[in-house]
Amino acid sequence: MSKTTKWLLAVAGVLIIIFSLQFNLQADDEKEEKHPEVDFTQSCMECHKEVTPDIVRDWEKSKHGVMNFGCYMCHGDGQVEFYRKPSTETCLSCHTGEPVDARKGGNLQCFSCHNGHSLKFHQ
Amino acid sequence: MGLTRREFIKTSAAAAAAASLGTSLIPGAASQLFADSTKWHKSVCRFCGTGCGVMVGERDGKVVAVKGDNLNTINKGHLCVKGFYLHKIVYSDTRLKHPMIKKDGKFQRVSWDEALNFVAERFNSIRKQYGPDALAFYGSGQAETEETYMANKLYKGCIGTNNMEGNPRLCMASAVGGYLTSLGLDEPVGTYDDIEQAEFFMLIGSNTAECHPILFERIIRRKHQNPNVKILIIDPRKTPTDQITDLHLFPKPGYDLAILHAMARIIIKEGYADEQFIKENVVFKDNKKDLTFEEYKQFLEKYTPEYAANDSGVPAEDIVAAARMFGRAKTAMSMWTMGINQRTRGVWANNLITNLHLLTGKIGKPGCDSFSLTGQPNACGGVREGGGLCHLLPAHRSVKNPKHREEVAKVWDVPVSNIQPKPGKHTIAMFEALNKGEIKGIFILCTNPAQSLPNAAKYRKGLEEQFVVVSESFFPTATTKYADVVLPAAFWTEKEGVYGCTERRSQYMPKIVEPLGEARWDAFILRDLAIRMGFKKEFEKYKTAEDIWNEYISLTKGKDMDLSGATYRRLKKVRGLRWPVPSEDHPGTYKRYVQGDPLFDELPREKKKGRWIYFYGKPEGKAVVWARPDKGPEEPTDEDYPFALTTGRVLEHWHTATMTGAVPELNRAVPKAYVEIHPEDAKRLKISNKDQVVIETRRGSLKIEARVIDRPEPGTLFVPWHWEEWMINNLTIDAFDPGSKEPEYKVCAARIKKA
Repeated sequence: MSKTTKWLLAVAGVLIIIFSLQFNLQADDEKEEKHPEVDFTQSCMECHKEVTPDIVRDWEKSKHGVMNFGCYMCHGDGQVEFYRKPSTETCLSCHTGEPVDARKGGNLQCFSCHNGHSLKFHQ
Repeated sequence: MGLTRREFIKTSAAAAAAASLGTSLIPGAASQLFADSTKWHKSVCRFCGTGCGVMVGERDGKVVAVKGDNLNTINKGHLCVKGFYLHKIVYSDTRLKHPMIKKDGKFQRVSWDEALNFVAERFNSIRKQYGPDALAFYGSGQAETEETYMANKLYKGCIGTNNMEGNPRLCMASAVGGYLTSLGLDEPVGTYDDIEQAEFFMLIGSNTAECHPILFERIIRRKHQNPNVKILIIDPRKTPTDQITDLHLFPKPGYDLAILHAMARIIIKEGYADEQFIKENVVFKDNKKDLTFEEYKQFLEKYTPEYAANDSGVPAEDIVAAARMFGRAKTAMSMWTMGINQRTRGVWANNLITNLHLLTGKIGKPGCDSFSLTGQPNACGGVREGGGLCHLLPAHRSVKNPKHREEVAKVWDVPVSNIQPKPGKHTIAMFEALNKGEIKGIFILCTNPAQSLPNAAKYRKGLEEQFVVVSESFFPTATTKYADVVLPAAFWTEKEGVYGCTERRSQYMPKIVEPLGEARWDAFILRDLAIRMGFKKEFEKYKTAEDIWNEYISLTKGKDMDLSGATYRRLKKVRGLRWPVPSEDHPGTYKRYVQGDPLFDELPREKKKGRWIYFYGKPEGKAVVWARPDKGPEEPTDEDYPFALTTGRVLEHWHTATMTGAVPELNRAVPKAYVEIHPEDAKRLKISNKDQVVIETRRGSLKIEARVIDRPEPGTLFVPWHWEEWMINNLTIDAFDPGSKEPEYKVCAARIKKA
């Protein structure tokens, strides 16, 4: 094995370790994004009114708040399914006839323009 | 149930997740559900009576998603939180998949042949030994029209008993009584189209935001677009509907009749009555005789704002303001549900609402109607129109009417003598007869009376002692516990048929996937049972859903609810049709009793005499303004039971939660029952938020969590009724309206203490 080959293998090894570490870190980040253990004797809202009052207030003033479309509609039940960042697909189940076709905007999603809780158009 | 609440939630959540694996709304997977591989089918929501259009996404023979149908003019693509999760319910772990017979106290899986032969033998044996009236049927406003039609024919036409009821007796019967006595014929004059033209809404006994969210959204939109639109709420409790109200009257539960009379009095005294309309189109009556307008005014003299205020607890000035809102608005639409219907004077309450419209002429015109909201998706279509109650026959016919019996017997191809002229037992009487052993066998279809009957514990004796067959899509339920036989019924999307919603609109639902397990369509379960009972000639001809529908609509020809033009061929293409729709080229009817209604248009000129509205169900086409006495609830509060207990729904759950309880998200949103108590009452009784408390009535007690909140007025308690674990119907009263036989779920006397 030539010196060059050894050198290249060493560099490749280091890169693999770095990528692996990065992957693990990403995986850890994803783990951290998981919803904490849930007390199923209370609703999402009961807890979130205390821990994220600003978000709840934004939601309450929104059209979803007026209709009482709760946290679970976009974020899941928190146990079987939890979506930290809800998808456009969820929106499309109700907003079937909206004037903007998000799919035409490349990777544009509903929440690219609409604030997630106030639903205000922010771009 | 054998499962704790927590276990049940976990189990159903896991099942729902497994069922939707790869098809759930996964973030970033924007192409999965809306990809070309998903085929979308036009259908109708399975929940309330609004009748929202849904598109059902199917892939590889499975229901994978639901979205709103933006071509359906009812909901224009929007869904409420319940409809949003319909697809998850189809594959719930609680689906009943096989017939079972209870042997030695335990359910054992059997074949369809064994189950149906067993039921047929038992029913025939009971019939032979005790007569046809020892058998009964208890159906549902969730059954398709075709299903109820088959049960009607089997029981009234073949077995020969009118002991055929359905749960709409518990929710809509007072509205039926109200329409019949005030306007002459059942069901509303107008449609949802009036919402976008109304200047004023009176929401009375209705938590529209939670019970009819899509209609609430339409009202919100109407108000936002037209700031002059005013909204009056008359309801004992503050609800999310209050977000849009201009004035809210909070009567003590059961004390709103005097308010409605007081409003009528103010409307007349202050010149808001339409004298010409009254002269041409209205007569006046009290419970015994005809009245003149002057005599009616005299009757109203008692109902000063102060009298009504004293009776109801609502400030007199608010009653005056409410009357003026109604009177001044150019157009007015009233909407109500169970707060009005589930009362011992539910029919009268319905009459008094319609009185206001008749006195002001705000009926029959765009933006005007006295409009009852329906709680179930096919209470109107299947049971009211289909004749699924003990006094009815299909197409608004009555068992008492010999001509009606002859017409129906001819189409059913049964001897007219089979159809008894005397009404059978209404729901409460039916379950009392089970308790007494007068009814010895009952077929319960698509409903859960062990949880949904008022004073429910009282009626378990009969369910335990008599022969009970339950056809259901879900297992276990509170009722299947008492069943001797359970039959797995195909669920929504697994069968085709028609639902008729609140606004007289009939809509077709396709079969999209095969039934789960061995489940079968209820109409064919009934057909096959009938054949085994010896009615082969009468039932073997029904090969398809369309066969049944065609026979049914032939019975509607020429009736006020003519559906002759609503063939399957047509219904499959359109987003429903609103009757009367007498021919396939007829567009359906927006308003009854006026130009455009084919029955009005066909009336001879000499009959109409130039009138623009003619209530053709009443003599001389004149509607009735009723001078009914005001009457409080059957069980007023007293020293021993100082609170008024009222029950209702939450947005996220529906009825006994056999469906919504299978959706993890909806369980998550409202995981348990609670009692709402006003902070003043809570402070006095030293009850804190989330304390365990005990509610007691003369019928039972319930330990439950307290929610200290200013939604109910002081002196009122509210409990949502969806959970078997916290079964508030053990406490509700089974007193019922003498006219409609609908029980007074909405009011009884209670007390509460810290547990």
